[in-house]
Amino acid sequence: MLSLTIKSVRANKARFFLTSIAVLLGVAFMAGTFVLTDTIKKSYDDVSTNVYRSTDAVVRSARDTKSADQGGADTRGTISAETLGTVRAVNGVKAAEAQQLGSAVVVGHDGRLLDANRNRAIPIALAWQDTPELNPMRLVSGHAPGAPDEIVVDRASADKGHFALGEAVHVVSQAGSGEYRIAGVATYGGADSAAGAQVVAFTPDTASQVIGTPGRFTAIQVIAAPGVSQDQLVSNVRSALHDPQLEVVTGAQATTEAQAATGTSLQFVNIFLMTFAIVALVVGSFVIYNTFSITVAQRTKETALLRAIGAKRRQVMRSIRYEALFIGVFASTAGVVAGIGLAQGLRSVLSAFGLDLPSGAAVIEPRTIVVSVVTGVVVTFVAAWLPARRAAKVAPIEALRDTAVERTSHSKRRVVFGIVTTVAGAVFMAQGLSGAGVGAVGLGAFGVFFGVAMLGPVIARRFSRIAGWPLPRMRGMAGTLARENAMRNPRRTAASSSALMIGVGLVAFITVFAASAKASMATSVDKAMKSEWIVTTQFGMGGLSPTVAERIDALPETGAVTALRFFDAKVGDSTSSASAVDPARVEQSVELDLRAGRIADLGAHEVAVQAETAKAKNLHVGDTLTMFFPETGDQQLTVVALYGTKEPLGDYVISTQAFDANIATHVDNDIVVSAAPGVPQDQARQAVEHVLKDFPTAELMTKSEFKGSMASEIDKILNLVYVLLAMALVIALFGIANTLALSVFERTREFGLLRAVGMTRKQVRSTVRWEAVLIALLGTTLGTSIGLGFAWSLFRALENQGFNTFTVPVQQLGVIVVFAAVAAVVAATLPARRAAKLDVLEAISSS
Amino acid sequence: MTSTLTVRTTHDTRVEGPAIAARAVDATKVYGRGEATVRALDGVTIGFETSRFTAIMGPSGSGKSTLMHSLAGLDRLTSGSIRVGEVEIGKLRDKKLTKLRRDRIGFVFQAFNLIPTLTAAENIVLPMRLAGRKPNQVWVDHVVDTVGLQNRLHHRPSELSGGQQQRVAVARALASQPHIIFADEPTGNLDSRTGAEILSFMRQAVRELGQTIVMVTHDPVAASYADRAVFLADGRIVDELDSPTADSVFDRMRTLGA
Repeated sequence: MLSLTIKSVRANKARFFLTSIAVLLGVAFMAGTFVLTDTIKKSYDDVSTNVYRSTDAVVRSARDTKSADQGGADTRGTISAETLGTVRAVNGVKAAEAQQLGSAVVVGHDGRLLDANRNRAIPIALAWQDTPELNPMRLVSGHAPGAPDEIVVDRASADKGHFALGEAVHVVSQAGSGEYRIAGVATYGGADSAAGAQVVAFTPDTASQVIGTPGRFTAIQVIAAPGVSQDQLVSNVRSALHDPQLEVVTGAQATTEAQAATGTSLQFVNIFLMTFAIVALVVGSFVIYNTFSITVAQRTKETALLRAIGAKRRQVMRSIRYEALFIGVFASTAGVVAGIGLAQGLRSVLSAFGLDLPSGAAVIEPRTIVVSVVTGVVVTFVAAWLPARRAAKVAPIEALRDTAVERTSHSKRRVVFGIVTTVAGAVFMAQGLSGAGVGAVGLGAFGVFFGVAMLGPVIARRFSRIAGWPLPRMRGMAGTLARENAMRNPRRTAASSSALMIGVGLVAFITVFAASAKASMATSVDKAMKSEWIVTTQFGMGGLSPTVAERIDALPETGAVTALRFFDAKVGDSTSSASAVDPARVEQSVELDLRAGRIADLGAHEVAVQAETAKAKNLHVGDTLTMFFPETGDQQLTVVALYGTKEPLGDYVISTQAFDANIATHVDNDIVVSAAPGVPQDQARQAVEHVLKDFPTAELMTKSEFKGSMASEIDKILNLVYVLLAMALVIALFGIANTLALSVFERTREFGLLRAVGMTRKQVRSTVRWEAVLIALLGTTLGTSIGLGFAWSLFRALENQGFNTFTVPVQQLGVIVVFAAVAAVVAATLPARRAAKLDVLEAISSS
Repeated sequence: MTSTLTVRTTHDTRVEGPAIAARAVDATKVYGRGEATVRALDGVTIGFETSRFTAIMGPSGSGKSTLMHSLAGLDRLTSGSIRVGEVEIGKLRDKKLTKLRRDRIGFVFQAFNLIPTLTAAENIVLPMRLAGRKPNQVWVDHVVDTVGLQNRLHHRPSELSGGQQQRVAVARALASQPHIIFADEPTGNLDSRTGAEILSFMRQAVRELGQTIVMVTHDPVAASYADRAVFLADGRIVDELDSPTADSVFDRMRTLGA
């Protein structure tokens, strides 16, 4: 039977390639994701390894808080400067140096940021290390910072900013904006920048004032004396310090942790991209299934003949499975090769949407090849499983029948299975959304798609009749035939549309969800912000120095000025977002929606709790709660108020006073500003902007600009998702093209007859195209409905996290439907042309 | 059958005698090249008069189908010319040729005459619908009556018997009142009784409706329904019979060595 398979493949090369593409693209996506993330990980790892290359032990605070955001950095406490002397005296320590890490941004000569990209890598600021082994930086020109105003910058920034040695530049930090001189230019971890991040090094003294807290260090790095092992060193230091609030780890572990940390944030990128690869593969599997189903049906007579002359069922089944295997192996191998190239494309896509990723030589792990090929082959094989079984069921007698018997599409079993699968999927998804995790959501979504795909044939005929209703009027006979063709084989129509359904379903979902997210944000901002302006800073810019708020407040043109600080609060086992405010002023600028107590009562040991959170945790005014700070450990705070405004305040609000007492880095995130009474808006704005000239990390926005900027961030992600989903849509369209090509082939005689009795080529093309449009409309209609359902479910699940406005962007959804229909027409171009070019004589005389 | 319907306006030809509905002059069709050359048509010149029923006879490979396909604009000649009415079709491009087939020519094939997704009624008016024209309902009803399909109009081809399907095909060919109808072995797939029925319809259409029909067949009985039988062998016209009978055709065929 193998020879039969090979003959079948060779006889149908076009079909073979079209089918292969369905798998190939998905596998390429998967392999590309692997290659890209491996490559990025390697460049991060190289930096981490280099930075810790000579470190034998690290002394640091034992306290840390996990970020409330996925992929966000953990916050760890600082340690006392006195510890350094103790460590240096420990037996087996050759050298020990204080590590001071923080954030500061070197400003370009033009007063602007060197890298205006909002999603740039977080700039690094540190204290220059005198021990070269412990210094991640290596000078390429100039000298180490000696004077308090001297700095060393990374080579990439020096090149980008055209900085020359000895030149004065501005550096913005938590301490404000200051002028420094470039003493030297250096590499970081052996690279021109810290894996894409800007680096600035100060003298240790300057660093403690500018990026840290005087008398506190981030950590201490230790080098062992010759002959002392890392473990030995760690245990020596540990017993010498004898402090449960300090943690001593080996250099090896510090490296591993650093790599694991980048691994975790990369994991997010990996999962994100892999989701789309899986979507592409699922869509591809639908295409494979459909193609095999059609060819099996078309070969019924051939199969029956084989059976009649003695082929066993198993042999029939095997010949089809061999074909699937053949396609799977071919397409997956080609897919992996394509994937290596695609990795570069994915990087370009991500960076086009502002996600800056370090580059390096493509890393191709054996795992990439094995997993991608195996996945591709398995997907193909499984998708062809049912069609192969169906082929084996062909009775020998069918060889003698005149026409293939059309199997009914309304089997009860199909309806029951379809409904059960859909409902089970929906339940799974609901479970996942209410806490069972992303896996359950994904599985549930797949179940819903699969179930609806099973139900497709049941509605395909009716749908085509209704949706195709205007066709005969619009396109005459060509329209009538298109509609009839879409109706004649509902199973095929439904199966062809199902791949598109998944793609469009996800597009619709993300569109509706993004629209709702934008609307919810806008609602939150409108509700919460009482003032006209907000001064904000981009994520990762190290926050705004309190000087900014002070100087704005000092302006006669401004009225209420309230600084907001955001932090991750650990209460009990959970970390959630929280904020710090000036209790005396906050109510002038922010609508708290106070439910109980008084916000003005916030002091060093008090807290206000968001009303729903308080309800869930059963907290009332007068109760106490324990909040954990990496810097100061557990703190007992008394609840003095309950408020409703979740955005932007988060679950807990403390006073700035409490914040300063418990958190090392004293920076503001947002400053809400209003004009002084009687001062024209323009005048006030100009005054504020004048102050901000010294702080290029700060941005002044009106309420609507602020909403717009948040919306544009969402749009950016939305567009990225669109681009990544495009792969699935392309596969789906290939599927439609494939189905139509097979249908055209099957209807050769019909088209021949139509041409003979006077159908023009144009009309033939029109018939095929409009059939494609009907298939696409079925897919988009089902997809959009499912997408709406998904978006609504997710919205409901996030309702207590600030999602307050569900919006259906009708216009955008309309565009999606039209776009899919147009794309289907494009997909139908080749089959339509083939149908139009049929040799009439050959077509009518072929039997 | 009212007389208004039976009278067909013959074409405004100024030629004396009976008008010619289609004509082949020195029609030659060569397949293949070099050694493998086959002359399917070898200088055939023939005219088909309006309102007559002509049978083209001949053994397999005689070129009778090629002649019909060329006359109907489905195939192109290597040399020579074909006229349908006043139109020289050899010079027509696909679009014009398609429209000619649609508007002026009717077809009845041996098998697979109907579009399976359309009902009998829709199949009958198919060429006119393709042209975007409204069918002449009175005429269509009349044709349907003639072929006796009133009760099967809303059935799809799969629900019709072979004979009924062929009757729908004939009705379709007649419905658009074409200049000429070409029938390619229209009874080849039918039993003799049903075949006879179809042939009677065709003859009736010629006699009573003034239709011009050219039929390719190798069946002497079928040919006996025609007004005239033309014999082809090796791509040439070798003989002709007026008012053929099954016996006379059979005799002639035998002498041709078919």
